[in-house]
Amino acid sequence: MTAGSPVSARIAQADLGSRDAPALPARRYNRGMPFGALDRPALARALAQLAEGPDDLVDAFLERVEVVEMPPAGEPAGLRLRREEGVAVRLCRGERSWLASRDRLDRESFVDAVRQVARVHPRAVSPPPPTLVAPWGGLPGTSDLEAFPRGLDRALRDKRVAFPYRLTLRRHRRDLQVATPHLAAAPQSETFYSFRVEIPWAGPGTLGGLLSELGEPAAEALAVRLADAFRARTAAPPASGRAIVLLAPAAAATLLHEAVAHALEADTLAEAGAPEAAHGVRLSAAPLDVLDDPGGAPRPVRRQSDDEGTPVMPRWLVRGGVVDQPLADQRWARRLPGLQPGAGRRDSRHRLPAPRSTYLRLLPGDRTLEELLERANGGLYFAEPQRGRLDAKTGRFTLSFAHGRRIRDGGLHEPVGRCTIHGHFAELLGTVAGIGVNAVVAGAGWCAKGGQRLPVWAAAPELLLDGVEVTG
Amino acid sequence: MTGTPAVRPEDQAEELLAALRQAGLAEAEVYLKDGRSRRLAIGLAGAEHQVVVEEGWAVRAGDRRAAFFVAGTGRPLPGAPWPTPQGFPAPLPDAAPVLRWSEPPDLDSPLLTELEAQALLAAIEEALVSELPLARLSAAELEDGSSASTLASSRGVRAGWRQRVAIVRLVASMPDSLVEASLQQGARDARRLQPRALARALADRLAVRERGIRPERETGDVVLAPAAAARLLAGLLPLLVGPGARDLVGPLLDAEGRLGSSALSVVDDGRLSGGLLAAAVDGEGVPTRAVPLVEAGLYRQPLLAWWQARGGAAAVASGCSLRASFREMPAAGPTHLFVRPQEGIRPAALVAALDGGSYVLDADGPGRFDFTADRFALPVCGFHLAAGAARRPFAGGWLCGAITALLHGIVGVARDLTFFPLAGMIGSPTLRITGLEIRGEA
Repeated sequence: MTAGSPVSARIAQADLGSRDAPALPARRYNRGMPFGALDRPALARALAQLAEGPDDLVDAFLERVEVVEMPPAGEPAGLRLRREEGVAVRLCRGERSWLASRDRLDRESFVDAVRQVARVHPRAVSPPPPTLVAPWGGLPGTSDLEAFPRGLDRALRDKRVAFPYRLTLRRHRRDLQVATPHLAAAPQSETFYSFRVEIPWAGPGTLGGLLSELGEPAAEALAVRLADAFRARTAAPPASGRAIVLLAPAAAATLLHEAVAHALEADTLAEAGAPEAAHGVRLSAAPLDVLDDPGGAPRPVRRQSDDEGTPVMPRWLVRGGVVDQPLADQRWARRLPGLQPGAGRRDSRHRLPAPRSTYLRLLPGDRTLEELLERANGGLYFAEPQRGRLDAKTGRFTLSFAHGRRIRDGGLHEPVGRCTIHGHFAELLGTVAGIGVNAVVAGAGWCAKGGQRLPVWAAAPELLLDGVEVTG
Repeated sequence: MTGTPAVRPEDQAEELLAALRQAGLAEAEVYLKDGRSRRLAIGLAGAEHQVVVEEGWAVRAGDRRAAFFVAGTGRPLPGAPWPTPQGFPAPLPDAAPVLRWSEPPDLDSPLLTELEAQALLAAIEEALVSELPLARLSAAELEDGSSASTLASSRGVRAGWRQRVAIVRLVASMPDSLVEASLQQGARDARRLQPRALARALADRLAVRERGIRPERETGDVVLAPAAAARLLAGLLPLLVGPGARDLVGPLLDAEGRLGSSALSVVDDGRLSGGLLAAAVDGEGVPTRAVPLVEAGLYRQPLLAWWQARGGAAAVASGCSLRASFREMPAAGPTHLFVRPQEGIRPAALVAALDGGSYVLDADGPGRFDFTADRFALPVCGFHLAAGAARRPFAGGWLCGAITALLHGIVGVARDLTFFPLAGMIGSPTLRITGLEIRGEA
């Protein structure tokens, strides 16, 4: 770790989704923003009727979602398209919240939802805005989805591996607009891809993840994952016990998602005690710097505001190993004044927002990969986790791997089979013994909590853990 | 609303079907769904009241070579463009006669009001505290919903069905303790949920988890309460559901084709009287029926949807295609899949008959089932028994053994069939089983 280097310089160095960075030679899907003609003042006036005082939180959430799926060969219906839209109106007063949601984006649905929420505070609803959304338009293109399987096949052939697999590929597009009685944040849009590969010959049977873009780099990266899984399919698990472990960026990102992001969500902290008391707690002796930075995410999923319309900011979750600012949404920030909103997320209009991370970044340290491998001699290397889990009550987490590699003589050697690393999240962060010098975008995936499933993104360098519990 | 007369969903479906036919799509199915639900959740974030109005549709269409699936909210416009069919066809079922069916009368009962929902959760908490004075309801969620579905296809299927489901999820804890107990129960009408019974069940689980010690190694007969038995049955579903089940179950059958003891009968019944999801047809409009999967220990067949039974080994298909929502393609799965109860056998009678052994109150998770190795392990809590009475509680234990020993070891089945929302509605009465172990480690 270059302790003396200015943090801003290290952020810039790790600014992988830089606003000025040239686009990767990748396929990107574009459609126009559907909320262009929205009469925002009319929407604000209608919502203002619901607020009884300045402490009431009132908003409307307008959402449009499109998912295009190419199922595996042989499955019925070779193209699957889902288009949905709707509106939700919310009122939070003190410790109570009301939400009314509808599956239409028209004035009648909006008025109906406002009236439903207003039943707890009846007043006349002001005239609704005339137009909420532009029509859907024509059918979506699919050339990006159709090209990817061919690229993946080609990349696998280049690696001289061949095996049966079934690929499901989806493109997700989500447009949203949040309005309050005072202002309407700029509309937000996300486009990304998800994949699921069925590999019955491997232990876990499936491999999945998210991609911000399709194209040759993505096909190559997935091919590497599949080839690694194939080569490790018969490997024996490592012996159980404490070990030195080197996590590749994707594994490091997942670990930090569980052990830092989830652990520092205001609602998770509330389960164990007082969220505001977390500030200043040292989590790691190592100078770990972890941010949630939705505005720095890869361009197709970059956000200026969260799902409550609050502007996002680079949020230091852990700074120099010490807890700085937990993740909070509007409701938690109003209850606990030390918390900053801006991390409210919801998986659909039918759910209330909750504090969650969007784009987690572990800032790079000062160890080259060669140095980390040298230090991890005799240990284990894990590239891709299968899944992670944090028990909010106890603080215990597990990270499962389908396979890994043994580290010897400064290099990666024979594969090892299925195993988990686990422990208390604070103890685990105490085992950090080195941080890689290069952070890369990695470890994106679906994250489920409280019944809401959200896409999460990350960038991280390698992370060395000395003395972590491994169970084979 | 606009005041224009509402168009019936049946007419909307017909209009859409005609538009699809006009677009040259010979094979087509239209599904329309309207739903309304009220949810009250009480937890760390305060009280959350939600009213959700859902309105969705789905179309499967194509020809003999290719197909598409499109779903959306609101209602599709008949003149909207449709995708070009791709990949593989999506076969649709033929129309079939539906047996006479009477809708349950409580389908029409109104959803709980906000105040009723609050009162119900408050009554549960009050009853919990009277059962176990220091206990508190740390999270509670009540979801009460109703829906109406309409289906029409080019193969002559015309179907409509309604559903009404209320689910309560409760989490209880003790002060200054990490121990929690949870409970989930469903009813068609939320007004039928019994606060005192729910609180008692929750208090029992919490008390056992709070006071129970990790067992060493206990042998002897085991009596499983319905919650634990249903978890076991859910773990065994790969043997009972789908076209791959026969291959998996084969090595576990004895020479006579028996999967279990003569006390074991397993049925799936989509039109089960009183069943929470009971309907005359499934999500593709195929008539539902009772299908015996295991009869007096003999393995009869796996549960198969019509498209899974085509051209395969002799097996009766049943209406068991479920739509998780309008967004999803129909998928085959259990409707009400259960161990058939024995009339007249009280659960207490199974416990009273034991000198020692254990009573398993609940499962702490889904367990592990290795059908190739013929082994299973289920995390459980309960009581050790002596002379037919509870001696001391245990928690953090594992019910372990061979899957064949589990199924052949069923020596008693009670009458108290209870369903749980697991993978579909999975039900079991209290079971007495011999030949298993309860250990501290799996």
